Amino acid sequence: MDDNSTPSGDRKLSCSDVSKCFQLLESILDGENLPNSKEMLNEKLAKCEPCFKHFHLEQAIRDVLKTKCTKQAVPSELEASIREIIQDRK
Amino acid sequence: MSEVQRKKYSEQEKSKIFDQEFMPNIDSMYNFAYRLTFDEDDAKDLVQDTYLKAFRFINSFEQGTNAKAWLFRILKNSFINDYRKKSKQPAKIDYQEVETYYNSDDVDYTSTTDLRVDAVKDMLGDEISNALNSLAVDFRTVIILCDLEGFTYEEMAKILDIPIGTVRSRLHRARNLLKDKLRSYASTMGYGNDEEEGS
Ligand SMILES: [Zn+2]
Repeated sequence: MDDNSTPSGDRKLSCSDVSKCFQLLESILDGENLPNSKEMLNEKLAKCEPCFKHFHLEQAIRDVLKTKCTKQAVPSELEASIREIIQDRK
Repeated sequence: MSEVQRKKYSEQEKSKIFDQEFMPNIDSMYNFAYRLTFDEDDAKDLVQDTYLKAFRFINSFEQGTNAKAWLFRILKNSFINDYRKKSKQPAKIDYQEVETYYNSDDVDYTSTTDLRVDAVKDMLGDEISNALNSLAVDFRTVIILCDLEGFTYEEMAKILDIPIGTVRSRLHRARNLLKDKLRSYASTMGYGNDEEEGS
């Protein structure tokens, strides 16, 4: 996605329907396939400053969660011990 | 399970499903369990329990459906039914409580945060993880399922046994709580001072 993150003078500064818009933006970011979502998204981002800001913040949060959360390594013996119990019960 | 299980898989088929569809998810399962319990031994027990149940009830798994979602649902139920009862950790908020607390799916979208995008991008992995871990388990769970594991709203609804509208509203609240945490980290890092933007 293009990084056109400089606020544009063309965007209106207040959103006409925050609840509806933000819910839509969040659904799109969460990968829900909505009809015409691409067009609606582009329209909001081009024309509405609150939507633009909300979208980019929400996107950044999803990105850091996905890429930066610390992961635990699976204990090496876990899979073997599960298989062993199942084998014993057969 | 209320219905008598049909014997639909042979022993050979069972092993194949277990090896090819269940076991490859062990990494995600363990991390989910760890993020629920914050304890290595408890996480191991929870994952082990889940796999044993999965094998026992393998005939109720439909091949071709999402094995990972099926396993996550078993793990979540085991966590609620078995683990939480014996947990030494005081339950902060429980699933039921949350639902009665916020028995409406209507969410206030108008509250805004002054959290800045570049502050979020500069967060360390530990800060992100701590913020996530500090959330009550129900809020933590939806973020794990959605953002870390990539489940759809529909899959989450099935895993959690809640309507899609509740998934959506709970996620929104969870992220708002997370933003509050991140904002407090950001302010200690020197972001978010209204004056001196970018100096
Ligand atoms: Zn808008």
